[in-house]
Amino acid sequence: MWCLSGLFGSRVGPALYPLLRVVSKGNQQYPPLRALQASAVLRRASDEHKKEPLASSSQQHFDSPPAGHQPEQKPQGPHPSYTGQGGQESEDYESEEQLQHRILTAALEFVPEHGWTAEAIAEGAKTLGLSVAAAGMFRSDGSELILHFVSECNSKLSELLQKEQKLVQLGEAEKKPIDEFLRDAVEARLRMLIPYIEKWPQALSILLLPRNIPSSLNLLTSMIDDIWHYAGDQSTDFNWYTRRAVLTGIYNTTELVMMQDSSPGFEDTWRFLGNRVADAMAMSSTASQVQSTGEAVVQGLMGAAVTIKNLAGLNQRR
Amino acid sequence: MHFGFQTVTEEERREKIYQVFENVAKKYDVMNDSMTLGIHRVWKDILVHKMNPCPGTLLLDVAGGTGDIAFRFINYVRSVRQRQLQRKLKHHQNLSWQEIFESYQKDEFNSLGDSQVVVCDINREMLKVGKQKAEHLGYSEGLSWVLGNAEELPFDDDKFDVYTIAFGIRNVTRIDLALQEAYRVLKPGGRFLCLEFSHVSNPLLSRLYDLYSFQVIPVLGEVIAGDWRSYQYLVESIRQFPPQEELKVMIEDAGFFKVDYENLNFGIVAIHSGFKL
Repeated sequence: MWCLSGLFGSRVGPALYPLLRVVSKGNQQYPPLRALQASAVLRRASDEHKKEPLASSSQQHFDSPPAGHQPEQKPQGPHPSYTGQGGQESEDYESEEQLQHRILTAALEFVPEHGWTAEAIAEGAKTLGLSVAAAGMFRSDGSELILHFVSECNSKLSELLQKEQKLVQLGEAEKKPIDEFLRDAVEARLRMLIPYIEKWPQALSILLLPRNIPSSLNLLTSMIDDIWHYAGDQSTDFNWYTRRAVLTGIYNTTELVMMQDSSPGFEDTWRFLGNRVADAMAMSSTASQVQSTGEAVVQGLMGAAVTIKNLAGLNQRR
Repeated sequence: MHFGFQTVTEEERREKIYQVFENVAKKYDVMNDSMTLGIHRVWKDILVHKMNPCPGTLLLDVAGGTGDIAFRFINYVRSVRQRQLQRKLKHHQNLSWQEIFESYQKDEFNSLGDSQVVVCDINREMLKVGKQKAEHLGYSEGLSWVLGNAEELPFDDDKFDVYTIAFGIRNVTRIDLALQEAYRVLKPGGRFLCLEFSHVSNPLLSRLYDLYSFQVIPVLGEVIAGDWRSYQYLVESIRQFPPQEELKVMIEDAGFFKVDYENLNFGIVAIHSGFKL
């Protein structure tokens, strides 16, 4: 990642390039460094702590006074960002990815009105002080916005579960029985969809597009993994797969039920969820019953076979 | 400096190119159709689709001469705006007819959603043809025609959302200056789009393309526009123009981020895109 952010940082004038090549011997894999120039929008990482909104573009330029004139090739003396010496350049400017992240987060606010579309992204870019054309950085079907949202929700869920686990470790809370834990985790995750519930079916259909399936599947499985991890699942055997499959099934079906649930506070959905989790619990005990029954049956058959052999006189040793 | 395959000074080049377009202005569209067999329309459509402008976008179309990109932009924005308004109306179907009428007065339902396109060209003849075309086709609102040089634009900093230059950057004498000007006049977050003939890497196709370019196009130029030399210049200038990767580096040098290109028709034409971040 550090070499990537090096690409996106500030650039060095062509005159300095030979000098840098001498200095940075190990960096031949870098593409040619670009001309030194103030980036219009990418903020210095230090500015992010101040949380200044990028209201007026000219105010955020690092070297020129907001008098309107932007010299094109201004050497960046005090900015050590692009030294090419590895490690140092990543800190100073935010990368394009971080900017895209910010735009998508800002765009979520406009989703209830515009849906998961490039329009919502354009509105989000506007609030950051960027031109609406910045939405062209993303695909026009809005899939990146949805994937961003899902990944954010998963992180939030992770944090929540971690906090709960800490409380349990500190002894401030009781450890929940497994079915209650699963139910609460899935409910917490699904509740994050509530502000966007009207447009969520659109999002689901976009996530099912072949192009998006790898990423969306990845996010789904990592979320399920997370839940089982915090539930205390230590298994490394075949059960690992069955547990994930079961919980994935529970999550997906509950999500679909939530889509067309019109009861107050989604109580139908939570009842459905409770029933499914109970089913899953019962199923696991049924499974072990089936297994022991199966073993008993097999033993019975073996016994019958030996008896028949005895009767037929085949077991005698001479 | 090169003018096609000849070597000239910068000043001479600018003059010669001005004359080329002065001569071809009236037959520009006809020649485009016959040379590219109408495919240039598809290329321009793809450019505007890639732009995906939303209503309220301010577009600067440089070297936009006869207005092809500008008209497509207006059509696109108009249809997006229609859909937006339909969705709004669906939400507000409980408005009374008086309220709807009042909102017309307030210009809430304007058909372009405040989008504007400024067509800038260095050549007066091309702009004239463009204005006539606009009148003829019925485009009136949202269009402005400005005479200007891509190397030194008569606009202030941080003004435009999108800057396009379709089949024009090849004729600019100092491409780096044009790119710097593009960076200057774009708003932060603004997008640079360049549609231009580029290099074909496939050897077989490249041979066929060369054959077509040098044997057929100047002849068409003579027959249709009565001007062999200008079209000879055109095909030569395509060969002299930097290939995709080189142009990408030049665009990055001007300060653009997320610079990328898309080949159309195996590299006969390429769309380069960059953002002012």
